[in-house]
Amino acid sequence: MKALTLTRRVDTRTLIVSLLTALVAVSVVSLLIGAGSVSPSRVVAMLLGADDADARFVVWELRAPRTLIGLAVGMALGVSGALLQAVTRNPLAEPGLLGVSAGAAFAVALALVLGASAATLRIPVAQMGALAGCLCVLGVARWRGVGNDPVRLVLAGAAFSALLGALTSLILFFDQRSADEIRFWVIGSLAGRRLDDLLAVLPTIVVSGVLIALLARPLAALALGERMASGLGHHPRLIRALIILCVALLVGAATAIAGPIAFVGLVVPFVARAFVGPDIRRTLWVSLPTGPLIVLVADIVSRVVVAPSELPLGVLTALFGAPVLVAVVRARRLPML
Amino acid sequence: MLRSVLRFGLASVVISGLVANAQAREVNTAFGEVDVPDAPERIVTLYEGALDASLAVGVTPLGAITSRGVDTVADYFGEHTDLSELQIVGVPRETNLEAVLRLEPDLILAPAELPNEQYQLLSRIAPTVVPDTNPLTQDGWREESRFYASVLGKEDEIERVLAELDERAADIKSRIEEAGEGGNAYVVRWMPGGPMIMSSQLFATGVLAATGIEAEDGGLVAEGRPHSDVLSLENLSQIDGDWLFLATLNEDGEQALEAARQSSAFERLNVVQAGHVVPVDGQVWSSTSGPLAANVILDDVEQALLP
Repeated sequence: MKALTLTRRVDTRTLIVSLLTALVAVSVVSLLIGAGSVSPSRVVAMLLGADDADARFVVWELRAPRTLIGLAVGMALGVSGALLQAVTRNPLAEPGLLGVSAGAAFAVALALVLGASAATLRIPVAQMGALAGCLCVLGVARWRGVGNDPVRLVLAGAAFSALLGALTSLILFFDQRSADEIRFWVIGSLAGRRLDDLLAVLPTIVVSGVLIALLARPLAALALGERMASGLGHHPRLIRALIILCVALLVGAATAIAGPIAFVGLVVPFVARAFVGPDIRRTLWVSLPTGPLIVLVADIVSRVVVAPSELPLGVLTALFGAPVLVAVVRARRLPML
Repeated sequence: MLRSVLRFGLASVVISGLVANAQAREVNTAFGEVDVPDAPERIVTLYEGALDASLAVGVTPLGAITSRGVDTVADYFGEHTDLSELQIVGVPRETNLEAVLRLEPDLILAPAELPNEQYQLLSRIAPTVVPDTNPLTQDGWREESRFYASVLGKEDEIERVLAELDERAADIKSRIEEAGEGGNAYVVRWMPGGPMIMSSQLFATGVLAATGIEAEDGGLVAEGRPHSDVLSLENLSQIDGDWLFLATLNEDGEQALEAARQSSAFERLNVVQAGHVVPVDGQVWSSTSGPLAANVILDDVEQALLP
């Protein structure tokens, strides 16, 4: 057992290094490839000093922002997936299940119907909706009961998400003008997002990041059992509540910029645990580069397959995530949570 | 007494039926010959183009379907009829049969390419006429307008309306040429991820063509589709023509322009920097068709290109 843990530790470090290398490579590819006429060779020429205004614009104004946003969204989703699965002890818990994505989509649909323009109000409205959705789910699941009964939380989240989803569909059914504007947003995409959007949610992401860094050790203790954690001087309920708050903030931020992106939060922690075991700290470290890796690869593919148009990212993450999940589940013994 | 009343009533029903029959005319439709009443009084239109053509020749239908994406008919109809008198009987893709039935129509003007099942149901309510035309052409709407008008017995009126329209378009065309403002144009709908380009084979682009402005779709619209998929922002230069008509289904075209302007890729287009972006009403430009709508499009063109 000890030997196994040791080899795993070594694995973790190499794994993270190789994941980071892959992430850098994919980010570069993301700058090189797009749906337009600016080819990789033109980008390289531009970077080497050629005077190519089109290439400069496409790379720095279109591809670079979406790459950065893809990195942020992928990290947020991967990490929150890992946290949520750990805190609920449920490997099927997906950030979307907290009512976060559904809440954000519903809030945006509502704002559009009430006359707001999609472009100007989207970010704050979506973030508020995400938080409200999450709080409703926690309310339904009974805030205090969360720790004792994570299944209840997941069930409440599933029920409430379905309810909000139905209400959103209802709104869009009655107001198809909004349907046109929101349709692509309900699926999720990185196209046409601006760095301002990212800056608007950056404070949220940073605050959650700091909180998570502080909570990682107590959370790992929690995995040993409630009593053990209490004995070590931690407060299980408080930790759980704070972690769930972080997840809501992170997913809310990601959803607000890019729309709901399915499957990343579910599949990333699975991949991570399959390689490094159930320890939440190691899972988090591996999830951090894995999330953006999946998001960026999916985004690059989304630009290429139907050029000169683009596919919505939300469709592709599921298309990629599902086989990855199946492969991981088949190839490795999965650690229990 | 009762019996004689009954007999009289029956007889009058039979006679009126005979009279109505005698007055019926035969019209050639996509579903073959259809008998329509000579002077229809209770007309339901299941196509915005049919409502437009009817109003253009001075016939006011009882019921109509909504414009795309709203729960009323397009706003511009309000200048030609009292909208509160017009009953809504469905949306473009779905007719509410019970609402049609309730109006007890004696004539139903249906869109081209009405599915057979729908036709079978509707024609049991009232004579239903379906034009044998293709709406996805620049001039299909003229044929359609002539068809609906002829069903209403208003052949002369529609010819006059279309002739006036052509005259006006030709006048605008020559004035645009004089001003040297012509050229090509794209009609797009702006989505948050980029533009959808409307096909060059539509009603609005047909009217534009009559004013000498050549509407293009850059070969981006698949055959038989009214518009393209959302174009990647990287390919925005493909819609950089002399004019850009920005159709929006929101009432506020300026708001749509505002949304588009948030994108640096849009701001960068020559057509934008030249101030040649014209926000227009999507209800008129990308939903309805007919002579009344054509006049609204001509208004838009006149205002934008010949201020």
